[in-house]
Amino acid sequence: MIRLNNISLDYDERHILKNVSLTVEKGTTSVILGSSGAGKSTILKVILGLTDIKSGEVFINGKSIYQINEKELLKVRRKIGIVFQGNALFDSLNVRENVSYFLAYENKLSEREINEKVKEMLSFVNLEDTQELYPDQLSGGMKKRIAIARALAAGPEIILFDEPTTGLDPINSKAILELINKLKSLGKTSIVVTHILNDAVFIADNMTVINEGEIVASGSVREILKSDNSFIQKFFYEIFLDNTLFKEN
Amino acid sequence: MILKMPIQNKLIKLYDFSMMIIETIRDFPTALKNRKDLLNEMYVIGTQSFWLVFFGGLFSGVILAIETGHNLEKFGATLLISRTISLGMVRELGPVITGILLAARTGAKNTSELGSMQLSEQVEALKAFGVSPIEKLVVPRVVAAVIMFLPLTFVADMAGIIGGMFITNTTFHVDLVYFWRTATDVLDYKDIFVGTIKPMFFAFFIAIISCYYGLTTKGGTTNLGKNAINSVVMSSLIVLTLDFIFTKVVWELL
Repeated sequence: MIRLNNISLDYDERHILKNVSLTVEKGTTSVILGSSGAGKSTILKVILGLTDIKSGEVFINGKSIYQINEKELLKVRRKIGIVFQGNALFDSLNVRENVSYFLAYENKLSEREINEKVKEMLSFVNLEDTQELYPDQLSGGMKKRIAIARALAAGPEIILFDEPTTGLDPINSKAILELINKLKSLGKTSIVVTHILNDAVFIADNMTVINEGEIVASGSVREILKSDNSFIQKFFYEIFLDNTLFKEN
Repeated sequence: MILKMPIQNKLIKLYDFSMMIIETIRDFPTALKNRKDLLNEMYVIGTQSFWLVFFGGLFSGVILAIETGHNLEKFGATLLISRTISLGMVRELGPVITGILLAARTGAKNTSELGSMQLSEQVEALKAFGVSPIEKLVVPRVVAAVIMFLPLTFVADMAGIIGGMFITNTTFHVDLVYFWRTATDVLDYKDIFVGTIKPMFFAFFIAIISCYYGLTTKGGTTNLGKNAINSVVMSSLIVLTLDFIFTKVVWELL
């Protein structure tokens, strides 16, 4: 379980996050929805302990990650996988080496076991025949799926997705969202950051709407869609000018 | 406040840099764990810098021979050229030329590689997956530099002495055997020790400065370019400063 308690974070005297509190239950998919620059990606960095915070606490499976040393934090991070917005694949390594990177680094598995794991992960993302290709030989959608395979390879309990469908065509977007749903069926906990409402509705168990570093509303998809909060209504209205989705729900 | 900010920022950077040095030294033993990266870095430094260092050393020795030869010739002391070249190359020019050339070659490579990894979130990815960038990226580069700078300095020394020897022979008619014998006889343990220890310190600081500038790259490609320049400039200055410290302080202590 992940719990953020009153997180505040400033950068160059700008308030990036203001008293953000969030709870993500095990085995669920939580979506953090908001416009660009709202502080969504920063929340993922806070969960990983990658950025300093001004105040508050982050608990991962009951452990306060801002009160442990760097070595212990690295151990906590190994239970978390992340798919970056820009994928962050290692461009000097091929697909097989990218996917197996952290398995090989941990040095716990034999070469044969690592190869089998890579095959399994690539099969999960439907890219079995790409092992020898390099990131610059892959399309945007393929890179995203390889990034997912890499995030899953070390068997994390929690997976974080930063804008997983941004820049992808509708077919690739759907494939990625289906993969996220498939992870839920495997009992994984996911946190997805996005600004696309359709995506959020498709995958979310719970939704948190954020604006200018503050949480505007949090709850189930139905609760959020029915919310009478003026920001949420305006945000959704700008996405769906015909307001169809509100009427249907 | 306006005046204070740059100083505060500089102090913070100095603190971060000092912490990076401490962490790198602390993580030195992990170089064995990442031996594939270490060997790769050693190979890159060794093979790609060999000819650069060779010609740098060769021309330094040749120029030194011509310049000192013309002056010593006035006093009929051309037999002393070999001593000057040998001591000059081993104690000063060999390490400094190698240091400055490698500050440009290896320093720019490290900063641009790590800087582009930083900008494309690859460094964040390492941290996010529980891998220390110091352990994985910095230590192999620093250890590889410390190991490889010594043989490269030896290459520069030898190229300089041999180049100087041929110029001295053809221009000032000093016998090759005599040149070689006096060039080697004049060197004592102190000279060889200083000539050996210098490249190791130069290598350590060049590698760590270039890694620091790479890992602290922010913004975009313009800043990456600026950091690569700063890395080379700072590394070159450190080489010259350390050389002065070794010549003035360490030499007197020995």
